[in-house]
Amino acid sequence: MPDQTSGPSDDAEPGGAPRHAHHRHEDRPEPDVVAPDVAATDEVSDETVQDETVGDETVGDEDEATPEPATPVAPPQPFLPGGSRFTPAAPSGTRRLWNAVTQKPDGGQVLVAVLVALLGFGAVLQVRADDDALANARRDDLVQILDGLRRQADRLDDHVAELESDRRDLVSGADTEAAALEQAQERARSTGVLAGTIAASGPGIILTISDPDREVNAYTMLRAINELRVAGAEAIQMRGGGNDEAVRVVASTAFENPRPGVLTVGGKELEPPYEIVAIGEPGELTGSMTFANGVIASMEQDGAEATVDEYDDLTVDVLHEPQPPQYARPAPEDGDDE
Amino acid sequence: MIPIAGLVIGILAGFVFDVSVPLELQPYLPIAIVAALDAVFGGIRAVIEGIFNDKVFVVSFIANVLIAAFIVFLGDQLGVGSQLSTAVIVVLGIRIFTNVATIRRHIFHA
Repeated sequence: MPDQTSGPSDDAEPGGAPRHAHHRHEDRPEPDVVAPDVAATDEVSDETVQDETVGDETVGDEDEATPEPATPVAPPQPFLPGGSRFTPAAPSGTRRLWNAVTQKPDGGQVLVAVLVALLGFGAVLQVRADDDALANARRDDLVQILDGLRRQADRLDDHVAELESDRRDLVSGADTEAAALEQAQERARSTGVLAGTIAASGPGIILTISDPDREVNAYTMLRAINELRVAGAEAIQMRGGGNDEAVRVVASTAFENPRPGVLTVGGKELEPPYEIVAIGEPGELTGSMTFANGVIASMEQDGAEATVDEYDDLTVDVLHEPQPPQYARPAPEDGDDE
Repeated sequence: MIPIAGLVIGILAGFVFDVSVPLELQPYLPIAIVAALDAVFGGIRAVIEGIFNDKVFVVSFIANVLIAAFIVFLGDQLGVGSQLSTAVIVVLGIRIFTNVATIRRHIFHA
């Protein structure tokens, strides 16, 4: 504070004033001597407050300050018992306050009012802005908060990585499962082709046997089927052109002649001409039928006529109805499966 | 009378206008408010003691606010902002307590 007058009075107002008050109060234990003096000064300053002239005000202030050098004499008996320390001898503080509040307003108070209004405004703003904790946090606190958040983010990242790896495992597991399902379905299809439970198509041959005298017996037929299997036939069906019965030839299909001239295949009686459809490599299948002293040769010896035709695309569409095994059941597996 | 009306008007204005404090001023506003509070209590005490002077009050109010804000600013520049603002708060708080204690003695005689 460079200003001479405002410097000490600024000090005297909020912080320095306790000294004055103290000394004044200390003076009071001797009411006879000092109190009138104090009362007089208080009276004067009160009056100046009422009058509200700056010059008088500072004079009053100085008046308050001037007793200060003299006071060191007083302190030897500051704490006399029974002294009425806080009983003001002048108009009481409450009355002064009341006077100040109710006095006629003047121009000097406007500036005070503006400042106090600013204080109220700022305080309310600050109280309302305090909702945002981060905005008012100091740098250290921010660093700490940031650190905490970073740690939390790290933990969450770890969590995310964990979950992602779980997800990868599950997805790959699902893929494996799907692949296994695909494989199983593929196996079921091929097994179905072998077992005769589903239709099959592909290149192959048709062996047509016209047997007007019904001389071709079950043994010869079984031999023909066996030769076809040797040549790699994968699906075989046999049709009796005479009664239009057809049989899918599978592992359990039996050939028999219950009576001479009657051929039953898989429990169905077939009448000539027979037509055997076999799916496999056509050349091999044909070769298996036509080799010297082979199936066709022996059939022709029996008086039948057999011809082989190769086709690029044949369909074996007669289905075998599998019976659940009555006696055989899967043997207990040793060790790991299959 | 006018200062009391000013305080009420200021508080009402603070509630009515939703002004956000400028970012640069945000660290200094709380300290400035405490410093202003100190000046206000000092002023009330001066009124009670009969030595109030509005010029002194205005100067001390502004000086208090500016010095408090400046100390905090300086502390922030020096890297001891939180400690210095704590120090300012402590000092201002002690002064406020002292002033209020004196006011209390004058009013309640106790």
